[in-house]
Amino acid sequence: MFSFDPYSPAIDADPFPYYKQLRDEAPCHWSPEAQMWILSRYADIVSAGQDWQTYSSASGNLMTELPGRAGATLGSSDPPKHDRLRGLIQHAFMKRNLLALEEPIRAVAQEVFGQLRGAKRFDFKDVSSQFTVKVLMAALGLPMGAEALVPEQEVRENAVLMVQSDARTRAKGPEHIAAYNWMQEYAAKVIAMRRAEPRNDLISNFALAEIDGDRLDDREVLLTTTTLIMAGVESLGGFMMMFAYNLASFDDARRAVVANPELLPDAIEESLRFNTSAQRFRRRLMKDVELHGQTMKQGDFVCLAYGSGNRDERQYPNPDVYDITRKPRGHLGFGGGVHACLGTAIARLAVKIAFDEFHKVVPDYKRVADQLPWMPSSTFRSPLVLALEVQ
Amino acid sequence: MANITYIESNGTSTTIHLNDGWSLMQGATANGIDGIVGECGGSCACATCHCYVDEARLGDLPAASDGELDMLENVAAERKPNSRLACQIKATAALEGLIIRLPETQE
Repeated sequence: MFSFDPYSPAIDADPFPYYKQLRDEAPCHWSPEAQMWILSRYADIVSAGQDWQTYSSASGNLMTELPGRAGATLGSSDPPKHDRLRGLIQHAFMKRNLLALEEPIRAVAQEVFGQLRGAKRFDFKDVSSQFTVKVLMAALGLPMGAEALVPEQEVRENAVLMVQSDARTRAKGPEHIAAYNWMQEYAAKVIAMRRAEPRNDLISNFALAEIDGDRLDDREVLLTTTTLIMAGVESLGGFMMMFAYNLASFDDARRAVVANPELLPDAIEESLRFNTSAQRFRRRLMKDVELHGQTMKQGDFVCLAYGSGNRDERQYPNPDVYDITRKPRGHLGFGGGVHACLGTAIARLAVKIAFDEFHKVVPDYKRVADQLPWMPSSTFRSPLVLALEVQ
Repeated sequence: MANITYIESNGTSTTIHLNDGWSLMQGATANGIDGIVGECGGSCACATCHCYVDEARLGDLPAASDGELDMLENVAAERKPNSRLACQIKATAALEGLIIRLPETQE
């Protein structure tokens, strides 16, 4: 009998055939392994994503939630609390307010990808992780250089580990919880530092923010900061791995964007649709819902399989073809509705600059291995290693 | 359910049948209407789904929230009294037949 187990290594490696079967045969499917419903069609996911009153995020939005996190972050709260938190932060992430970051991001990209000059073979993760952490540190105002509290690599390693889950126990393992605790402690130190000596940066402003005369409570500040670091580092890094994977796999697309870097934004949008790293998030029902002949009960958890909606042939013709001329508007690569990704503008900007600079140093490359080790995660999907050979 | 008509700045008119709860932005981006960008995905954070609502029907819409009013200050084209963000307007039966006009530019 068909089942969909988001903890299975087979799903980590290639969820797309399972998604197709879900969409065609069981568009409202109860997964006993995940103990939740799985919605896989584009239109159903859009509808659920819009209806936050019914599909609540307040019990957590990660498929495998971290302890004590639900309710205290943007992604795990509903309006009006969500809007209050978001209002404090989103200004910093708007496109027009990111212009000042463009040159620093390009300098980071030149420095990081410049290391590849003369290389014959390399793991793309080594450069993408350096780039991601440096960009996030600059964007959030994390202490860098002489002020740094920990080596950059530790931030990256813990961000990647905390989003993973254990395929055997279908839960967070001790190493994942330890990474989460590490990140909370790191965030707490940064917050204390910025409160003591505020600067004009996102975390200083957030840590000192008041709404109607009340300071945010410490748990909200701590867990939201923790999540911004996690989401920024892991999601940006994971997406860059997927984009490099696609360009290394599809020769025509790679040659086109290298010959004309102005095509990079279109290729990025198609990657967000085709196989973005943020594959699945969850909600919890606030009332019974009838869908496709099933009754989902109040209190049940529901997975919104964005990665499947993006391959829905009901929305995108030839969905399994990576086509950089497609311009896939309305894709779910950043989610949608009130919880659509906060970092859309900085992600698009940083990835475009990164690959522009990467291609100046390495204009042609291919994958070394056919089979890749995929991250064990019920929410995100990206390879842990991506060995590339310079051509 | 509601039929919404989008008129682009070049005069192209398209009517879309929207499910309840879908935003007017999503109706446009999912159906190939280019005059709405919706760059942020619908979280009221980019002002690229600016539209002009048929003035006679303004009263059928819930009032704009503070967040939408703030974001309307960032629209690229001229802001008018009937300016709204399409991501903040959800389809309901009350909007049946609504016409919205799209500005020349969103960015």
